[in-house]
Amino acid sequence: MVDVEQRLRPGTATADVPDTPASTWRNPLHPWGAEGAEEEIPSNPHRDPREVWVRTRESKAPLLPVGRLRYYHKWPGHGGRLWQRMRYWPTRRRVLHIRGEYNPKTLRREKTIVDKRPIWWVLGLVALLLAPAVMPADFQNTLMTAGATFGIYAAINLCWMLIIGTAGIYSLASYAVVGAAAFGTAWLSIHMGLPWWTLPLVGSAIGLVFGLIIAIPAIRLDGFYYALLTIGLNELCRVYTLQSKQFGSSTGGLYGADTYIPQSWSQESQSLLAYYACFALMVAALILYRFVDGRRLGRILKMAPEKREAFAEATGVNFRRARIWVFIISSIGLGFIGGFYTAHYRGVSFSIFSFDTVLLGLAMLVIGGIGRAEGAVVGTAIVIFLDKVLIATGPIRLILIGLIMLGVVLFLKGGLFGIKAQFGAWRDKKKSERRSRRAEKGGEMLPEEATETKDKDLIYWRRYDKMQRDYLKSLISPEIIEEHRKSPLGQHSEPLERLLLYFRRAPLADKYAITVVKPFQAYRIVALSGQRGVAPRIVEDKVYPTQDEAYHGVFLRRVQDLLET
Amino acid sequence: MDLGFIITNAVVLACIYGTLAIGLSITWSSVGLINLAYGFIFALSGYGAWLGAQHISTNGVVVVACGVLTGALGGLLVCALAFIPIHDKPNFTVRGLIATLAISLIGGQALLAIFGPRAKNLPEIFGSWKISLAGVVLTADKVGNVVVSIAVVTAVLMWMRSSRRGLEIRAMMMNPHAAAIVGIGVRRTGFYVMAITGGLAGLAAVLLSQTYYISPFGGLAPMIKGVSIALCGGLGSVRGAVIAAVLLGLNEALTARLMGGQYVLITQFLLIILILLMRPRGIAGILDRAREA
Repeated sequence: MVDVEQRLRPGTATADVPDTPASTWRNPLHPWGAEGAEEEIPSNPHRDPREVWVRTRESKAPLLPVGRLRYYHKWPGHGGRLWQRMRYWPTRRRVLHIRGEYNPKTLRREKTIVDKRPIWWVLGLVALLLAPAVMPADFQNTLMTAGATFGIYAAINLCWMLIIGTAGIYSLASYAVVGAAAFGTAWLSIHMGLPWWTLPLVGSAIGLVFGLIIAIPAIRLDGFYYALLTIGLNELCRVYTLQSKQFGSSTGGLYGADTYIPQSWSQESQSLLAYYACFALMVAALILYRFVDGRRLGRILKMAPEKREAFAEATGVNFRRARIWVFIISSIGLGFIGGFYTAHYRGVSFSIFSFDTVLLGLAMLVIGGIGRAEGAVVGTAIVIFLDKVLIATGPIRLILIGLIMLGVVLFLKGGLFGIKAQFGAWRDKKKSERRSRRAEKGGEMLPEEATETKDKDLIYWRRYDKMQRDYLKSLISPEIIEEHRKSPLGQHSEPLERLLLYFRRAPLADKYAITVVKPFQAYRIVALSGQRGVAPRIVEDKVYPTQDEAYHGVFLRRVQDLLET
Repeated sequence: MDLGFIITNAVVLACIYGTLAIGLSITWSSVGLINLAYGFIFALSGYGAWLGAQHISTNGVVVVACGVLTGALGGLLVCALAFIPIHDKPNFTVRGLIATLAISLIGGQALLAIFGPRAKNLPEIFGSWKISLAGVVLTADKVGNVVVSIAVVTAVLMWMRSSRRGLEIRAMMMNPHAAAIVGIGVRRTGFYVMAITGGLAGLAAVLLSQTYYISPFGGLAPMIKGVSIALCGGLGSVRGAVIAAVLLGLNEALTARLMGGQYVLITQFLLIILILLMRPRGIAGILDRAREA
């Protein structure tokens, strides 16, 4: 009775009961009078093998309430309406990318707006439309002028973004094309008396010719060689116009062209008309951007990003032609803007060719982020605000723009609109660093090793084997070793039997064995080679007098090896 | 007489443009940075030399030394701002290019704010003597320019050929990754390279100060000429830069004589475009072995 009670309440075991029932092993063969079988042998208390399993599998990562969760607002049900998608001509796109799904908990249908950018665009454009109504009266004039400038520059930058971002041609001659078209149309308007509405069209023709000329080197040159060449072309235009009399080298520009702004209107109406005309120009440039970047040409060029051109070419994508096409289309657009520029400002000055203009334009693109329309527009807004609205601060404002540009280039991969993706990538990197720091070494494969291994079974085998060895290590005790010494063969206690089963299952290569030096007198431990025809190697010089002692020697070596791993 | 005049002009222009172009070329091929802040370094070192001439001495050696040292400092500044933080980040070439452009924007405006828009004039550092050689009159300025630029460029090239640091720079030019593996510090070498090329820009600024007066944005035209020559000769090749400098100097002198000054840039760019259409990596550049950022 006492025995049973103690078994139920192990905590009450006292010191005068030396071996609790849990740590003794009764040999079942003893009642049958088996040779050398003792009735009771001290052994380990039982340990559940599942402990190691549970301990290994449990997550040690601290669970913080942040993570890669993307919270979307879930709009309630859709019925059949999700299938009646409004598509707008001439594309087959939907206005909003809406995903319908089932809520996994409530099993109700719900909608998710996957891409919210169209909403932001509409809000932003509506804000720009309504801006003149809410401008403070003191700054009305400055802000309206700045808004008109913003429209023109945003349009130029959108076309430039097509060249740099979509076509991947690092051309710095975009302002040269605009300036050439502006100067050409201004000259034609002054000397031939062209009306204002023809100026953008004539400008487009000039832009086409200029684009074709500039595109010739782009066929052969790539990357920075082209960028450096186009800086030179820009300077060439500047110096040429600066020196030639017919382009007004004495007056600092060419003025007196026809304009679309009726001079009889009041000052306010004039600036309002100018603002909305420039806004319309920007919207037109946005439409052009969307039609070039989002449709066939843009798709072709997204197939062939930098350093993957060879793959695109091998799959039959003629990306060079697409690049030149984008370049020429953008040049026509730039020429159109040049003509509009003349019609807007009644002429053009040399400053459009100056290196600072190119630098400021590049700052606009870079600050917003190269390769996206919203980057071009927002970058332009920021730089124009600093440049035109804070004009009273003098050179400081340009230094400020330069500092912003430098900061963006040094710290951001894709400008302001790339922050989200960059932050996500940074967080993923940190997470994976922490994960690899947590990973338990020994037995388990490192992540990169696991991806390299052909036999994926091995990954799981190793993981299992490690857990098993961890468990077996916890079983080894002096009692077990003593038990094995007494009888290496025959019935054993459970922990010893588990150990021996593991040892016996080891692969043949480098498995210990005993060899007979002299029958019944001398035995030695060897290690098998694991290869047919290759003799086992002798492990130690020690000679054992009996077979049992040699078995025990092998056991000890294996235990040592196990503890060492 | 006419021919002699053209040839001397061509040689003088070739020497100065070559100095600029070799600096740009070494920068690109060793550290992979297209240094478009070169014009800013040029202007900065001009101001450095001017300050030296104002406050220390108008001796030619002092003025040149001031210019070169300021240029080297400017090079170090550009290196610390545009090379060190991003040289191991993705898309370094584009970002480096834009960063140098930003530096040139900031630097130009800062110079404008500090020194004002009025152009400064350096003293005639080589004196004002003349010699007549076979009917051609050579002014001190021309002879001094040719001698000093050839001597300094030769010294730099000899140093690059024979010294330990030069060996490191050349190793970076051949293969930056392998150079890093054998223990050549990329950042340290970047500082050497930028200091030397900045010094070359400073030298060119002082030598050219009789042609291009020192103004906040006065470095732009020389930089564009240097860039086009480096481009035309093949970025990274000193020999190509020398050949291109001679070709373009000859073209400039000839055009200025035969057609007039305003056509110089036009013929120059037509020539460069022609050369680049035939050899897209420049005269001495080989398409496969060009540096891939």
